[in-house]
Amino acid sequence: MSPVIETTDLVKQYGDVCAVDQITLSVEKGSLFGLLGPNGSGKTTMIKMLTGQTKPTAGTAMVLGFDVVADPINVRRQVGIIPEQETPPSFLTAREYLAFVGAIRKIPDIGAKADRWFDLLDFADKRDILCKDLSRGTRQKLMFAQAFIHEPELALIDEPLINFDPIMQDLVKEYLVDYVRKGKTIFLSTHILEVAEEICSEFAILHKGRLLHTGRVAELSENGGDLPSFFLSLVRKGSHV
Amino acid sequence: MFELFVAMVKEEWRIHSTMFGTLSFALFPVMIFGIACMGSFLIPLVQMTLPPGYLTLSIHGSYLMLGIMVGGFGLLGNEVMNRRFGQASLLAYSARSLPLKETFIFLNFVIKDTVYYFFLWVLPFGFGYIIASPFIGVPLTDSLLLLLTLTFSFLFGLCTVFLLSAVYARSKEVLWLLLIAAGFGIVVHAVLSGTNPVLFFPPLLLNSSFSWMNFTLSSVLLLLLFGVATALFNPESVGSTKRYTDAFTPLLKCLSSLPTPSLAAKDILDLRRSGGLIGQTIFSFFLPLLVIWFFLSLLDPIFPPHGLLFLTAIITGVIASTMYTWVTMFDTFGSYACLPVAVSTLITSKITTFGLLQVIPVIFIASIAVLSGETAYIFPAAILAISVSFYAAGVMVWLSGLSPGVLVYDVKVLFTYLILVGIALTLFTGLAFANPYYAFFALSLAIPAWFFIQRAKVRWDAVDPGGF
Ligand SMILES: Nc1ncnc2c1ncn2[C@@H]1O[C@H](COP(=O)(O)OP(=O)(O)OP(=O)(O)O)[C@@H](O)[C@H]1O
Ligand SMILES: [Mg+2]
Repeated sequence: MSPVIETTDLVKQYGDVCAVDQITLSVEKGSLFGLLGPNGSGKTTMIKMLTGQTKPTAGTAMVLGFDVVADPINVRRQVGIIPEQETPPSFLTAREYLAFVGAIRKIPDIGAKADRWFDLLDFADKRDILCKDLSRGTRQKLMFAQAFIHEPELALIDEPLINFDPIMQDLVKEYLVDYVRKGKTIFLSTHILEVAEEICSEFAILHKGRLLHTGRVAELSENGGDLPSFFLSLVRKGSHV
Repeated sequence: MFELFVAMVKEEWRIHSTMFGTLSFALFPVMIFGIACMGSFLIPLVQMTLPPGYLTLSIHGSYLMLGIMVGGFGLLGNEVMNRRFGQASLLAYSARSLPLKETFIFLNFVIKDTVYYFFLWVLPFGFGYIIASPFIGVPLTDSLLLLLTLTFSFLFGLCTVFLLSAVYARSKEVLWLLLIAAGFGIVVHAVLSGTNPVLFFPPLLLNSSFSWMNFTLSSVLLLLLFGVATALFNPESVGSTKRYTDAFTPLLKCLSSLPTPSLAAKDILDLRRSGGLIGQTIFSFFLPLLVIWFFLSLLDPIFPPHGLLFLTAIITGVIASTMYTWVTMFDTFGSYACLPVAVSTLITSKITTFGLLQVIPVIFIASIAVLSGETAYIFPAAILAISVSFYAAGVMVWLSGLSPGVLVYDVKVLFTYLILVGIALTLFTGLAFANPYYAFFALSLAIPAWFFIQRAKVRWDAVDPGGF
């Protein structure tokens, strides 16, 4: 079975900053993959390249069988994305935004699907308010719904939990775990290590654009370790070299 | 508190200079200077063919319009503050977390814009004329006076729009009443006294006969406009919890025959709900064009028959082409980053919305034709305006993709734009002056317009969209 995401020597250079430095990675279907790393380590840049939002300086990346440079639109058609900065359009209401997404992605029966999402994430009372007047957390809920409403094979989500209250966080974690159980794949970036440990099956640690480690979460606990202390020791060591 | 101002100026500089390189941006005023300087040498020539005073008149008109345009784009009250900055992290926005009054921040922002555009446009132009003046036999005092009165023209445009937009933000009804009353007053006065109201424009009066008294009066008038506008300015942000019924789905059905109905529907809702459609139409379209029309009508005697109508039509076309910036100012590519939308698709959709907006210039030029008793020429004039508009917009899309507003200040881009649009304008003004029905030839501009748009799609798809 071929991997859902496969990169070889992926590089992204911004001027003299190397945001992503020769990363070779593969993500199998059905996994909940956590991309971990301190601030500025290149997680967002990685997700942007994998979704064709920015072009790699060197290397290749295939997502669901499409080359992200040659065919970014097909990649974005197949996957669901939550960008780092949530930006639903200011002058549409939440309901209209999902209708807009539905029209672009050609999702049948979008009205009913949107209603299900309003209920699931508990913001049906906000659906007729302009996005610019929604609270940050509500906007994040909308971005979450937008990424999953077409039930993509693969979702790439950048810090999806960060603006949610504890109840929402719980709900979303449960949703993500259920989602991969259906055979779909999630690629998630986060620096909340406890969350990663709780829900991820695989993880990778980035530091200053370099890949320090990839592995299975279960492997760590089998060896009596835990993700937070493993991460901290690895990154601290990485800072010294 | 000067720090905020300095920081804002630096920020504006960086926005522009990172877009296309410091050098290319710094060259912009140099280019304006060069154009003015070289143009000045043509003045003796022009003055042989034009009645005295007409040249001064049209330059003042242009600077008044420049002020209005700068004001119209930049200062539409808090709505633009929100729109232009959105969630972006510009100082005008983030300074809100500092212990400063909103009015103070806004004033800094206004003054920064004024100073900025003054150095970019007004000063280089006046300076070019000053340098050239000894060679063309104009006394230095005259060229200094011109610099002063041009500055005044610019500021009058800016302050008037600032005032009107402050009123607009408070009450749209009052604004309409004000505009109608002012329009009515001007027309009645013009009819009764038989003089063009433009002749009472203070900077022009000041230019034709300088006196300290006139100078003081003009300055006081300016300060008054500015003061009232500031007092009226309402810093409250206009957030609300108003509920809207779904307007998107019906609009989508309605537009289903367009190439990108969903994107066009979103654009239309953006324009409508932000107040941008009405605001921009008034401030960036009707106001500058009416001013131009008034100024041009003074030159009517030197035009060939119907020349005024067709020249107005061409200028309407150029101004109408800037509507492309209205439809692109709401979103950065970021809002589409999570959807399967290519830059080329966005360009198609923006051009589509732009096309829908072209109803406005058609209505405008038709009204002008009727008002000036040239109803017979409505059709060729409208064709001319629309063709020029699409052509100029096509050039703009090709040169600057989805961010026309900022790229204007790239010297290479602006220079190419001026050449490409200039050629077409000269050609079709000549044709329309020769025979009004030759205006129909402007339809042929559709070919280069289409070509530029196709090139634009290829060109901007290849560029990394992360940059804007
Ligand atoms: N558009 C850009 N231009 C220049 N440098 C950039 C750009 N975007 C990111 N960088 C740089 O690339 C590096 C990686 O940034 P990135 O946003 O990918 O980090 P991150 O891991 O997502 O961080 P965080 O956890 O804070 O979100 C940083 O050094 C950042 O300064
Ligand atoms: Mg990030």
